[in-house]
Amino acid sequence: MNKESRLKATINQRLTELGERERLKELLRAKLTECGWKDQMKAHCKEVIREKGLEHVTVEDLVVEITPKGRALVPDSVKKELLQRIRAFLAQHAA
Amino acid sequence: MKMEEGSVSSLDNSKLEGMAQDILSELVEDACLGLCFEVHRAVKQGYFFLDDTDQESMRDFEIVDQPGLDVFGQVYNQWKNKECVCPNCSRSIAASRFAPHLEKCLGMGRNSSRIANRRIVTGNNTNNKSESDQEDNDDVNDNDWSYGAEKKAKKRKSDKVNILLTLCCCYCYFFYFNE
Repeated sequence: MNKESRLKATINQRLTELGERERLKELLRAKLTECGWKDQMKAHCKEVIREKGLEHVTVEDLVVEITPKGRALVPDSVKKELLQRIRAFLAQHAA
Repeated sequence: MKMEEGSVSSLDNSKLEGMAQDILSELVEDACLGLCFEVHRAVKQGYFFLDDTDQESMRDFEIVDQPGLDVFGQVYNQWKNKECVCPNCSRSIAASRFAPHLEKCLGMGRNSSRIANRRIVTGNNTNNKSESDQEDNDDVNDNDWSYGAEKKAKKRKSDKVNILLTLCCCYCYFFYFNE
């Protein structure tokens, strides 16, 4: 276990150091916007806001309502593409 | 920074896969949080609901899907059968042939000077009437031109181009606003 968590920490560090994490974030954001996920989530946000009231809604409210749905609604194609890139990175830097 | 050999052998693909999934989860979580912050800021700054429109006005801008119309509902081939009157020779010319006709009629454009030069050359040897036979290949596509002896005074090229463009634009706008 110790080796694994050490490896994980090193991988995370390399991801950040080499700028790959930022690139992956940008790629994910672009893909999610392209496939309409962002618009879907925004529509859901509107419902939450109307429910809680425009003046009173907090970040917490949004996070609690949005995150589970957001995680579930990511299309498989997007997940696949991201995973491919991550696996490629791991293959290069963890072996 | 290479890993020690030991860690390579102790890691099988499933662990790497698990790591990849974890990284993906983190990224997705990050994207969700980013969206929450973005929305929250938009709400508090008051611009979140700015892009909302009512159904009524949305219907005005729906995509038009009828034959003969473009997506805005405008007729796009209305100039197919229109005719223009040439200001120079006062003939009625089809709209799609109007620009090339003007070129030759006003003595502008690339081929006009060639035709004129040829006429000068052949005009010196033979009579004017027989020239029309020799210049057919120049105007194979131009089916509304007959060789009346129309010579224009020489103009500078820049003036010619300006006049040609202005005339075409005027006629286009004329027909556009007439509809």
